[in-house]
Amino acid sequence: MSIEVRHITRQFGKFKALDDVTLKVESGELVALLGPSGSGKTTLLRIIAGLEFPDPGPAQVLFYGDDVTHLPASQRKAGFAFQHYALFRHLSVFENIAFGLRVRPRATRPPERDILQRVETLLKLVQLEPLAQRYPAQLSGGQRQRVALARALAVEPKVLLLDEPFGALDAKVRKDLRRWLRRLHDEIHITTLFVTHDQEEALEVADRVAIMRDGRIEQIGTPDDIYDRPASPFIYDFLGNVNLFHGRIHEGRVLIGDTAFEAARGAGGPQSQAVAFVRPHDIRVTREASGRSTLAARLVRCHAAGPVAQLELERLDGGAAFAVQLSRDQFRQLQPQPGEQLFVELQNVRVFSDDYSI
Amino acid sequence: MPFRQRNVLPGFRLTLGFTLLYLSLLVLIPLAGVFVKTSTLTWDQFWGTVTAPRVLASYRLSFGAALLAATVNLFFGLLVAWVLVRYQFWGKRLVDALVDLPFALPTAVAGIALTAVYSKNGWIGAWLAPLGINVAFTPLGVFVALTFIGLPFVVRTVQPVLEDLDAELEEAAASLGANRWQTFRRVLLPILFPSLLTGFALAFARALGEYGSVVFISGNMPMKTEITPLLIITKLEQYDYAGATALAVVMLVVSFVMLLTINLLQWWGSRSHAPA
Repeated sequence: MSIEVRHITRQFGKFKALDDVTLKVESGELVALLGPSGSGKTTLLRIIAGLEFPDPGPAQVLFYGDDVTHLPASQRKAGFAFQHYALFRHLSVFENIAFGLRVRPRATRPPERDILQRVETLLKLVQLEPLAQRYPAQLSGGQRQRVALARALAVEPKVLLLDEPFGALDAKVRKDLRRWLRRLHDEIHITTLFVTHDQEEALEVADRVAIMRDGRIEQIGTPDDIYDRPASPFIYDFLGNVNLFHGRIHEGRVLIGDTAFEAARGAGGPQSQAVAFVRPHDIRVTREASGRSTLAARLVRCHAAGPVAQLELERLDGGAAFAVQLSRDQFRQLQPQPGEQLFVELQNVRVFSDDYSI
Repeated sequence: MPFRQRNVLPGFRLTLGFTLLYLSLLVLIPLAGVFVKTSTLTWDQFWGTVTAPRVLASYRLSFGAALLAATVNLFFGLLVAWVLVRYQFWGKRLVDALVDLPFALPTAVAGIALTAVYSKNGWIGAWLAPLGINVAFTPLGVFVALTFIGLPFVVRTVQPVLEDLDAELEEAAASLGANRWQTFRRVLLPILFPSLLTGFALAFARALGEYGSVVFISGNMPMKTEITPLLIITKLEQYDYAGATALAVVMLVVSFVMLLTINLLQWWGSRSHAPA
């Protein structure tokens, strides 16, 4: 393993930021720490970097099996990128990147020629060669973050730690940059852990995603795994829009109203009271009740501007509202009108016992 | 900036006009008067006055002590600002308020207080005397007084910059392998440099012009502990107005050149990382 943390607990006053967290990041892997704000993800990253310390106890941080728990940040060889870049504004792009090499003790400091070469290689890697002599104030946000990454990579770190690296950028730059990060990682294969609160970013970029909640890791797995098989209603909800249907479990199926649907079991006991989770794009809409099991619902409103059409429906039995997404093709074929009665079929239903709350 | 350039901020001419008038009335015209009065002397008279041995000795003391005091304030001012910004401790607000006291205190009061404390039978002077260190009525006393009145400048110029400094900069430096000293030397100091220089210049200028506190603690012995402002007063008391202004001209020119140099240094220092 490459980065490993064991039994990390960190308490700020009465607030438990981290509660006995254990995590392994394999060598060469890109792992995202995903969670809402206050879930402890940044604290965990900072503890790994040595910028913060775990509460005394059995806590351990290991890089490539070496215990670095008691090493200061300057000796851990962990590259760190901050959300707000933290570039040295009095130094040029070139000198920012060279910083880590220049502060090495004389014995291990590379000669000027090598520093020059190394910085130029990195400038090429982050595609900023023409800007070497600029100052941070003269760069855009995306360029600054790339300088920060190059600066972190210059010292040939054992691991790369990124704290919301794209959090301060606008949506378009953010998308470009995260694809760039993925390509960069495929190129240099450095063990990377990055923190984000953007589930789309985590699912798109990472090899594995660890979802944090209230100072604990709630689930860790590949993006597909996490998206298709969320371990809890919290994760289900956190990863995207979801509809909740209250019902009862009956002979392996879930009864919603009077209709039974096939359902996979999530976590929870064998109670008969259950909540069914269905994603808006896993709901089929038809005009006639098919032979299969369907629910009757009335269309409240719909809007079709955008990549998918968004429908808002109300169940006829009880009036609970839910959301449906249709592709534009489906929407054009169906041409639903507000106020119209439609039938819906629920697919990929996942059931959690009722005492679970989001 | 060209005068004709269109600007979204209105009132450029009005504010510039007022600034020039204000500076003229308060600074330029009175100072020009000094030069006018001096010009009643012939060149030989002028040169004789400003290079008299007693006067030369006073330059050495005035500029030397002011420079030394400003330098000491540079280091200790930074230290005080650092402590006030970086640490939380009981009584911090009180210490913070104490820093401004030399601004508010009438300088004569400061001079009398310092003299009382540092004279041979004062609280501190009594301890220093057996070690052979005399503070009151020596050039050392002048230096102590000038350090006292210059203290707030460096603290107050550096403090806000230090407060705005992002802790992440130091964390970034640490994660890149820099030790504490390298982080200070290569990251913090360059950022603090312009404000340190400003503080230094202000403290120096203030020390150079100081009169009230020094005359009490120095003893005003000719050739030994006499500062140039005191010589000017002495000449005024002897109705030698032209002689007094001659000394004033020398002080003015020298301090103006020094302050200008510091300003240029600062401009040069901040030029590199200012956005284009």
